[in-house]
Amino acid sequence: MKAMLQKIRKEAASVLASGEADLVLGWGKGPLWWQSYPAFIEEEKETGSLTWDPFCVPNLSKYLLEELWVKQKVALFLKGCDALGFNQLLQDKRVDREKVLIFGIPCSGLIDPQKVERAGLHQGLHSVEHQGGELVFSYKDDQKKEDPSSFYYDKCLTCRHPNPVVFDMMLGDAVAVNPQERFAAVGELEKQDVSERYRYWERQFSRCIRCFACRNVCPACSCRECIFDLTDPRWLGKANVLSENQFYHITRAFHMAGRCVDCGECARVCPVDIPLTSLNRKLIKDLNELYGEYDAGVEPEKEPPLITFNPGDPAAFLES
Amino acid sequence: MKKIKKGDLPLLWEHLARGALLYLPLNEDGVVNFAPWQKGARVNLDSLNTVVPPKNLVFPQSETYVHFEQKADALDFTPVQEPKGDYILFGVRPCDVAGLTVLDRVFLEDPLDSLYENRRRGTILALACNEPDQSCFCTTFDLEPGFAPAADIMLWDLGEALLWQAQSAKGVALTQNMDVYLSEATAQEEKTAEQLQVTAAAAEAAAVREQEWALDGVKAVAKEMFDAQIWESLSRRCLGCGICTYVCPTCHCFDIEDFSRGEQGERFRCWDSCMFKDFTLMASGENPRPSRKERVRQRFMHKLSYFPARHGGLHGCVGCGRCVRKCPVSIDITQVIKEAGGLINRA
Ligand code: SF4
Ligand code: SF4
Ligand code: SF4
Ligand code: SF4
Ligand code: SF4
Repeated sequence: MKAMLQKIRKEAASVLASGEADLVLGWGKGPLWWQSYPAFIEEEKETGSLTWDPFCVPNLSKYLLEELWVKQKVALFLKGCDALGFNQLLQDKRVDREKVLIFGIPCSGLIDPQKVERAGLHQGLHSVEHQGGELVFSYKDDQKKEDPSSFYYDKCLTCRHPNPVVFDMMLGDAVAVNPQERFAAVGELEKQDVSERYRYWERQFSRCIRCFACRNVCPACSCRECIFDLTDPRWLGKANVLSENQFYHITRAFHMAGRCVDCGECARVCPVDIPLTSLNRKLIKDLNELYGEYDAGVEPEKEPPLITFNPGDPAAFLES
Repeated sequence: MKKIKKGDLPLLWEHLARGALLYLPLNEDGVVNFAPWQKGARVNLDSLNTVVPPKNLVFPQSETYVHFEQKADALDFTPVQEPKGDYILFGVRPCDVAGLTVLDRVFLEDPLDSLYENRRRGTILALACNEPDQSCFCTTFDLEPGFAPAADIMLWDLGEALLWQAQSAKGVALTQNMDVYLSEATAQEEKTAEQLQVTAAAAEAAAVREQEWALDGVKAVAKEMFDAQIWESLSRRCLGCGICTYVCPTCHCFDIEDFSRGEQGERFRCWDSCMFKDFTLMASGENPRPSRKERVRQRFMHKLSYFPARHGGLHGCVGCGRCVRKCPVSIDITQVIKEAGGLINRA
């Protein structure tokens, strides 16, 4: 990780010094161990504050929507999942590829703070680092070493594209791709009968506090005017009641169909741990089965399944 | 003082739930929130704060208060019957009890909010925190992790048992006729609780000191802070979501809307968030807080400057750390306190 951090700082400093970019998007570090956050660097001398550690999970590409209004050229660092999100913005014609300089980071997985907490390792924790195949937890006076595999984000365990699919310069050698089956949880839910499944989602959606973080963070949610914000007509009522929550989630999931890149950001930010990944993956799985395999975010030039019409497309919903 | 053995708690809860609606921190699909207790519910008294604070019991996220119907000659209004009956909130952490005190200043002072007043009738059993989290900073606001003066009953976790101290008339009433469940605590146990209270406060304060910030800086520049540089840089990374305000035990902004179909409808109020762009949007299209900068500034100014100015120095934050833990991009109020206070002092 140290070598990658040096490269990140070096490239950031170099593009700002040469004027190749007038803004660099990277990650900065807060005082608490899990706080790795999006950082906006405009001066060469600030590049020393950039960080790269096991918590650099926020995807930086959505900030391009705003920054590109005022900046000539923005350089940013993208992990594998971030690159898929970037491509979705590109496909939706929301960013100008010419104005962006991408440094790709081959990624071997990031650490989920919730898993650290559940393992009871968080009290008094100062920092977490990879050291030769082990994950080292540092406290004031001692250290604990653990096998990293039980601390990766779920999304990293099923990650199929850890090596960025879009970049101008890659900052390291490609990492091995070895994903677990990503539709396992969906398969389990499909086994339940309809009413059981309904009760499951009813319970999840009732817990939603309608903070819209899942939408705001999503690289596929980039509409200038979102249906859920419209007041006239008011499609989504402001009351936090089950029917409105269901309307929000089902509408969003369907709008994501064929566009969700499965980057896991929505599930990460949800404060009440709603299993949004299962919802999105159900749609991905169904689309794959109905219209053939399609991997959103991998090839942005390729027409997505719900944008193209084929006379042979299945239309079960019309026939029944 | 009294005590109750932890093994007897389910019996106590069963007893309490017979006479009142009993809310406890329950684990549902791995998420701990206050919910009505039922036999067999997965109670969690070990994790510190619930994700959603208990404010949603006194100030629900959505609350319908009047139904209306268009009759032949007039619009007919029927106020919604306000909920009645006792309820008990068991296991509230001291910062959340303090959060309710902050809400009281908003809703119980003139003009009195009767909906809130009615829902505030419950009895509160607070549970002391022995080991505050790294994100906790209640001591900054002169609160104690190990003590909640405004609770009706205060509980301390002694490992095998909970120490029990009635602190109000409601608390004394609830403690009466409970000899089946409660027994007298020994002087040693009272001493242990006292010790735990001291250690918890000291540990948290030490952790806060380690981060090198204090409230004094912000107090000194409460007004000038409006023009601080940090709003610009902080807001750049803010997602403009509602997490920080909705998980906050003191945030209390709401909207009022109607839901109607055909000739009938209802009027409700619901939480709203100063972090949303339409929060200050006016019918004319004008928005006095047009960008995220003004919105981010508003949240912190309200808690650290406007609220104390209006309410005799009481801050609109109780240091529960929820927004620190849950913000997806690590916007951290303790860093705002540090930087806003520090930066202007230096300038
Ligand atoms: S999903 Fe893949 S690319 Fe993204 S953080 Fe995890 S391992 Fe890295
Ligand atoms: S819906 Fe979730 S997983 Fe899919 S692109 Fe959006 S944030 Fe990523
Ligand atoms: S992030 Fe979670 S709580 Fe917030 S709106 Fe999305 S699903 Fe609901
Ligand atoms: S939770 Fe964080 S990102 Fe969301 S509105 Fe609050 S400060 Fe901004
Ligand atoms: S501002 Fe944050 S720390 Fe303060 S009371 Fe609200 S949620 Fe807790």
